[in-house]
Amino acid sequence: MTEIIWGAAKKPVASQALAEHIERAFKGEGVLYIGYPVLSVPEGTNSIDALWVSPEHGVVIFDLVEGLEVVGYDERQDELANSLETRLRAHKSLMRGRDLLAVPVVVTFAPRNNSNAIDDSHALVNDQNLVEVLNEINWTRPDLYTAVHSVLQSISSIRRGRRRRNLTNEQSRGAQLKILEDSIANLDSRQSKAVIETVEGVQRIRGLAGSGKTIILALKAAYLHAQHPDWKIAVTFNTRSLKAQFQRLIGTFVVEQTGELPNENLQIINAWGAPGNASRTGVYYQFCKANGIEFLDFSAAKDKFSSSKAFEGVVDLALALGGSKDPEPLFDVILVDEAQDFHPNFLKLCYLALGKSKRLVYAYDELQSLTESNLPPPEELFGLGADGVTPNVVFRPPEPGQPSQDVILEKCYRNSRPVLATAHALGFGIYRDPDPKTGTGLIQMFDQAHLWEEVGYRVMRGELRDGHEVTLGRPPSTSPAFLERPNDVDRLVEFLVFDSAKDQATWLVDQIERNIKIDELNFDDIIVINPDPITTAKSVGLPRKLLFEKGFQSHLAGVDTSSDVFFKADEQSIAFTGIFRAKGNEAGMVYVMNAHDCYRSWGSLGRVRNQIFTAITRSKAWVKVCGVGEDMRRLKEEFERVESHNYELNFVYPTEETRKHLRVLNRDLTAEEKKRIKGAVTSVSSLADDIAAGRVLLEDLPKKELDRLRKLLTSGSANGVT
Amino acid sequence: MALPEAIAREIKILTADLIEVGLSVDQNFPSLRDFAGGIRDLGFGPSEGLSQTLRNVAYATAYETLKEGRAYNVRLIDGGLMQFLYRFRNDELVTHRLAFFPSPDLLEFQNNPEVYELDEMYGDVLHRNVVTTPLRFDFDRDAFVEVHHPMAHLTIGQYRNCRIPVSGPLSPFMFVNFILKAFYNTAYRLYSGEIREHAYDYVPTITAAETRFVHMQIGAPA
Repeated sequence: MTEIIWGAAKKPVASQALAEHIERAFKGEGVLYIGYPVLSVPEGTNSIDALWVSPEHGVVIFDLVEGLEVVGYDERQDELANSLETRLRAHKSLMRGRDLLAVPVVVTFAPRNNSNAIDDSHALVNDQNLVEVLNEINWTRPDLYTAVHSVLQSISSIRRGRRRRNLTNEQSRGAQLKILEDSIANLDSRQSKAVIETVEGVQRIRGLAGSGKTIILALKAAYLHAQHPDWKIAVTFNTRSLKAQFQRLIGTFVVEQTGELPNENLQIINAWGAPGNASRTGVYYQFCKANGIEFLDFSAAKDKFSSSKAFEGVVDLALALGGSKDPEPLFDVILVDEAQDFHPNFLKLCYLALGKSKRLVYAYDELQSLTESNLPPPEELFGLGADGVTPNVVFRPPEPGQPSQDVILEKCYRNSRPVLATAHALGFGIYRDPDPKTGTGLIQMFDQAHLWEEVGYRVMRGELRDGHEVTLGRPPSTSPAFLERPNDVDRLVEFLVFDSAKDQATWLVDQIERNIKIDELNFDDIIVINPDPITTAKSVGLPRKLLFEKGFQSHLAGVDTSSDVFFKADEQSIAFTGIFRAKGNEAGMVYVMNAHDCYRSWGSLGRVRNQIFTAITRSKAWVKVCGVGEDMRRLKEEFERVESHNYELNFVYPTEETRKHLRVLNRDLTAEEKKRIKGAVTSVSSLADDIAAGRVLLEDLPKKELDRLRKLLTSGSANGVT
Repeated sequence: MALPEAIAREIKILTADLIEVGLSVDQNFPSLRDFAGGIRDLGFGPSEGLSQTLRNVAYATAYETLKEGRAYNVRLIDGGLMQFLYRFRNDELVTHRLAFFPSPDLLEFQNNPEVYELDEMYGDVLHRNVVTTPLRFDFDRDAFVEVHHPMAHLTIGQYRNCRIPVSGPLSPFMFVNFILKAFYNTAYRLYSGEIREHAYDYVPTITAAETRFVHMQIGAPA
């Protein structure tokens, strides 16, 4: 079926007519882009009215005419063809010698014009003969269909920018990674929709890690900038290490589309920011500056609020001080990546920092933390309008011819099916030994069962309903099979139990040495992750020291001051990281060390399971989960159950009551709460011992307190937590 | 072992120990290079001369440039940079430049405050009233002018004529020990036992005239 992707349509009526004709007449594979791509012309940039790419008919540019006036269409056609040809010719894959293998054809479509083509070499058509003329266009190289797409989507240029691999052995891990990288050549249609379709208003993009959200936002920023160089566009994010990635991607895409570097209107900035030059500024800082609100830096905010609520606190304060008035419009578009990592009020601040158009695009991963989205639906998120009743933002149901306001990316391109299913199984405790208190091994579960399907799982057996047994699996349509190819050289997922931290470190260092010297992996193909953020600096010390003594350089990404870079470009150094910095990064070979820390944890089971989930999902190909001792052995057993179920998740969907119970039991406790509970446990058990031994008689205790206790104990759930 | 090799070995072991205890997040291998006239330089490879180039720029800029250029032996957990540069002539020490460039701010806090809050290793650098100040222990046999340019001296805060007389050249261990004890005291108390000590043949170079006023004395008098 022909896919229609709606970019900025400058001629909506003719575009709509064109889309309808093509959809109706051409059932084969193909994509019709409206208002895309943007081409660089001597006078600046120019977006094509519409472009149709299909295996049978090749590349067809449309020049659209809404009125009756077609004058000058022949010149326009020549210019469009020439500039698109220039773009295509830059790519070797589309050339043979000096000949372009995908020569674009131009058709002027003027639905209301009745005069026939005046000139043989410049096609002019109307409603009557459009399809007939298109049918006459034939392309002899359908095999280049994918390559043409790759060029049009600018994806081929990021690939070109990547460092070459020096490979000598076709069976090496390095060679496998290259094949994998080459296979991901194109955006799929949902992804290109997310890039090109822009809403006059709020747009939400949801998808698992590895579904391409960051690339989509980068391409979108570049596309919008190329179309509207005068718009102020901000791209913002939570994890600092994403900054360098965004700069590289957006820079490449803008140059590809306009032939020039992005100008200062396109800002890639931190959410918080600080006074100073362009590299320090941030969304919150600019909001304060524009609205005359006192700016608080982290130290000041930490004193005022607690450190974990510092950003939330300053944003709330800024909203209270400046949000009620009409805040100064700061940007024409804001794109927010990793929105799940922000307090929802940050999105509200972004919303207020936009002028009337409110073009806010926010991408988030509902499952980044396994718990259900902490982001409220848009109706709540952006508050109520002046009448106090109507929400500011309500998503329209999808309509043909309208850009999608709510995009779900269910395909995961980073993690293969076994890697992703293992991460989910451990994260949710699908195959964990049942907890005597709940009767289930499950640690957490979505209230909305359909979320499983939205993130790409399908019901293989059973029913996805409360209290029913269900088996969930990932089909090739959401977990492409080619991602499993690295399995040919080594198991994708492996769990290893060691007797001591020293054994673990020694094995790790030997493996890394082997990866570099024999397996043809580059330094930046490897990440070593220590899930517990607090002990990371110390825990990674031993393997890093052993590497140093073997003459290998390593660095600890993450806890230093302000580096925006995770992998050090051109440096021969292995990245070690705690879990926070690991987010947003990926590598072919992921080592998780000290995974035993994630088997159990009183008062933070949910948190440690999230950590192992995040760590495992950093892997594009292989993941080795290492740890020490008994807890690691049990974690390994848990993994073996995932494996023996062929990476399907088989469990009884918990009922609402069980889910509530899980949430209470596995809630994250603060240090203060842990202390209080531990104290209570000790006093209860010593009291029981004393009474049983007759050291304390019930009669000795105050009757009033005893009655209260009796009442509390018999009333069951009245323990203050439901 | 000749002096240059011995000092290089000491730096390598110190670096390994700093990695092991988790204080070094990034580092370079010490490197020895030979020049005409029996000169041997012990440094850390890339951009060794950078801190000279940056003499006249704002500290924050200089720090950033050094960090980006990886011009250090060791980068500490909070971003502090340590450099060890020694020059020998026929195996005799002629100059050294041991520098500590602390990070001018801790922007990373904004992202993951809990990491810092809960980890004792950061105990010293979190206080708001801290003013980070670069320090340098220089030794220069040839530039010596009694009292005005002591052979071994300490410069605080890049003040041009700040040369607090020091009783003699410092070994890498002496320098690291001093920096950790003064500026990373919490970590020092936790881990000093795991950082191997290195013997040091102390050769005093301070003159009687220089000892008349405030000066620094290295270690215990022999």
